[in-house]
Amino acid sequence: MSGWAWHPGPREVNIRVMSEVETEPAAAIAAGYAIPAGSRDELLDADGRPLSHARSLMAALDRLGPAALSAAGKRRDTIFMQQGITFEVAGSDGERRDRAWPLDLVPRVLTSAEWTIIKRGLAQRIRALNAFVDDVYHAHEIVQAGIVPWSLIVSRKEFARPVHGVRPPGGVYCHVAGCDLVRDGEGRWRVLEDNVRTPSGISYVLENRVAMTRLVPELFAGHSVRPVDQYPSLLLDALRAVAPAENEPTVVLWTPGAMNAAYFEHAFLARQMGVELVEPTDLVVRDAVCYMRTTAGLQRVHTIYRRLDDSFIDPLEFRPDSLLGVPGLVRAYRAGTVAIANAIGTGVADDKAIYYYVPEMIRFYLDEEPILENVPTYLLSNAKERAHVIGRLEQVVVKPTSESGGKGVFIGPHATRAEVQEQARMIEDDPSRWIAQELVHLSTAPTEIGDGRLEPRHVDLRPFAVFGEEIRIVPGGLTRVALQEGSMIVNSSAGGGSKDTWVLDDGDDTDPAGGRDSQLPPYRPPRLPDVRYGGTWSNQAQQQQQQRE
Amino acid sequence: MLARIAQELFWLGRDLTRAEFTARILDGAFHADVAGVASQRGVALSWEGVLATIGAKPPALGEEETEVPEYVALGRIEVARLLTLDTDSPASVVSCVARARERARTMRDVISTEMWEALNSFYLMLGGYDLHAALQTGPYSFYQDVKERCGLFWGLLDRTLLRDEGRAFLEAGGHIEQADMVLRMLRVAIPSGSLDLDPPALETEAIAMLHAVGGFQSYRRAVRTSPTVGPVVRFLLFDSAYPGSVSASVDALAEALTAADAQPRSSPPVLRLGRLTADLELQRRSPEPGAGIESVLEQVQGELELVDHDIDARYFAIAALAAVHL
Repeated sequence: MSGWAWHPGPREVNIRVMSEVETEPAAAIAAGYAIPAGSRDELLDADGRPLSHARSLMAALDRLGPAALSAAGKRRDTIFMQQGITFEVAGSDGERRDRAWPLDLVPRVLTSAEWTIIKRGLAQRIRALNAFVDDVYHAHEIVQAGIVPWSLIVSRKEFARPVHGVRPPGGVYCHVAGCDLVRDGEGRWRVLEDNVRTPSGISYVLENRVAMTRLVPELFAGHSVRPVDQYPSLLLDALRAVAPAENEPTVVLWTPGAMNAAYFEHAFLARQMGVELVEPTDLVVRDAVCYMRTTAGLQRVHTIYRRLDDSFIDPLEFRPDSLLGVPGLVRAYRAGTVAIANAIGTGVADDKAIYYYVPEMIRFYLDEEPILENVPTYLLSNAKERAHVIGRLEQVVVKPTSESGGKGVFIGPHATRAEVQEQARMIEDDPSRWIAQELVHLSTAPTEIGDGRLEPRHVDLRPFAVFGEEIRIVPGGLTRVALQEGSMIVNSSAGGGSKDTWVLDDGDDTDPAGGRDSQLPPYRPPRLPDVRYGGTWSNQAQQQQQQRE
Repeated sequence: MLARIAQELFWLGRDLTRAEFTARILDGAFHADVAGVASQRGVALSWEGVLATIGAKPPALGEEETEVPEYVALGRIEVARLLTLDTDSPASVVSCVARARERARTMRDVISTEMWEALNSFYLMLGGYDLHAALQTGPYSFYQDVKERCGLFWGLLDRTLLRDEGRAFLEAGGHIEQADMVLRMLRVAIPSGSLDLDPPALETEAIAMLHAVGGFQSYRRAVRTSPTVGPVVRFLLFDSAYPGSVSASVDALAEALTAADAQPRSSPPVLRLGRLTADLELQRRSPEPGAGIESVLEQVQGELELVDHDIDARYFAIAALAAVHL
């Protein structure tokens, strides 16, 4: 088998080369780089010169050269197949087969100043969404204030009647959240979508970083990139913090099974956290207490990190035909003997129609101005907004509410006349099913296109937050990239890839989260006794003597 | 530990060991075949014998071709294809490895990453193998690869896997399969009455048998007499210093289950294994068993089957219960 082409380690930082780059800015590896009209680029300016935070990265890429970059790409595919970092795609013959996870070897770089804005904006948003979920199932204050109509809330598919009036430990509902962010044509960050049900992708963030350090260690030279591998500990801490147990809570990760598309991630997280990965048949509820079936009989479970939708978790309360559920689980949850993350019923907060109200929620619950803005959105059930949109459908994006994963999305500029008419008819039929958004020109980033050359491809960003006792966010997140030229669809099932996301530790940050402390004195290793690799000196001398004779 | 996971681990160990021993036995049979051993009595490590050992059915013949299938002699090409790279045959090496890999894939949180990667690349390697080319040049390197990859897996286990219940079940699976495979081979290879003869002429076959389990060198170092059938069988059955012997496997299995069980003193499989160990020791001390050896082999294998049932009932039944309710 092809082994690791293991590099001895990051090459030494060559200060002279870096200063040369500043006087001679355009990166040769990105020759002929043309950023699409209306978009910004993450690393280069309009003339193809690296932005200040990307200078040393582009210089390193230049030194590496196209040939080495495409060779590293081949090694990457072999290694990912070997490690089983794959996802299933349907081939042209309809058969499903494993493909190596598509990681682009050019990282996306964020400055720490920019990351601080994203981090704060995200934490603010998650606090508001969490407050909203609590409100929906208890006091209905936001409804009484006339901000969100109650009819809209109860008509959401994810509204969970069985948990009305249930408050989980600590009042935390959205233990794990991931928001899709994009940078628009003016360079501002906007939230495209919230995900507070079961956001996936964090395992790829961690695996991408490991793969990058192995495949292209040269690129890390001259950078101080914030680590991401603390995520599993953050998650486990959060899950333990919410457990209804006095000591040593048992945490499990519940997967729908090995057939699930995100199974790799479930197993990855279970392994990284050291918790059991359970399937529905492993769990059982007796007298409103949840147990798992072990070799030594039943064992109590305190926190379940579930990776399947509400509607499947308990056939007694939700879909009666669910084979994936555990009968009686909601009863145990109501009795407070088991914590479920994310809490049941959070889906109501990441519905696309509710998304429209999130900036208002932030003002209402937190009395703050939103740090991250929404994409301009129109609720089509509102007659005035509908009239504003319906005549210019070819300019906007129309999305069905209560859907995720890009299902049923209508992209105006790419639609034919007939499709526009069909969409207009569907909107008139049932306006409340749809929202419309202005088209955002996603930013681009240099991406290796197979032969070592770099071309601009559109990217988004999904940071991941964990909410236990407090909100913690891993630096960076998953950058998804649309590998087709001009495409803005970044889903991996639709030919999307991913990039490692670097948040630089460039000292520009006002509040380093888990960063290194520069106050510490320089570390000096202790003196150790000399290491011997054989007999004493006199012994060896004697042997040499004998050999000579 | 989850009962379902424990069972999967147990079978992962069994599948992988089965793959290894299939490769070993085929290797030994190739050796005997090429060396031109064809005696009517004595050790019969023939291709049909190999098939019987591994429990694989011969290829199903079409309805039209019903012309007495028992006379269709299976040569080394057919058997090699059937037992190495035939994905349709559940007994083939590649099927065993595929099953093991599929189990490991669903338990990547339990086994160590390095073990998973070793197993996954083993599986991918088998997919890229050209058996026809291998048979032309001699399949030695293929069997060698399989043995080495299995060795790598168990070695990584030793280095990287926590000594917990899961590991105990994984190892238990490996040990019970190893004992079973050796017993199967011995029972098939020794026709009744051959031990009475024990002519020196049978030495080649006995050596082939030792090669088939990878114990030739150990035998030479441990036993003074030349490798004829009697001493070889006794060596493979009773010599607890040799890790591949039945008695060593049984000891290791008992040890693994003792580690896995919260109350080993009241555990039926552990107790049964204790009796089996004592039995084997008694047999070892009794004078040369001669013709009685077949019944000993049969009895030990029967006991192991009961141990397997006991393991199922004690540790895994709770998971099967859930499957029934579903």
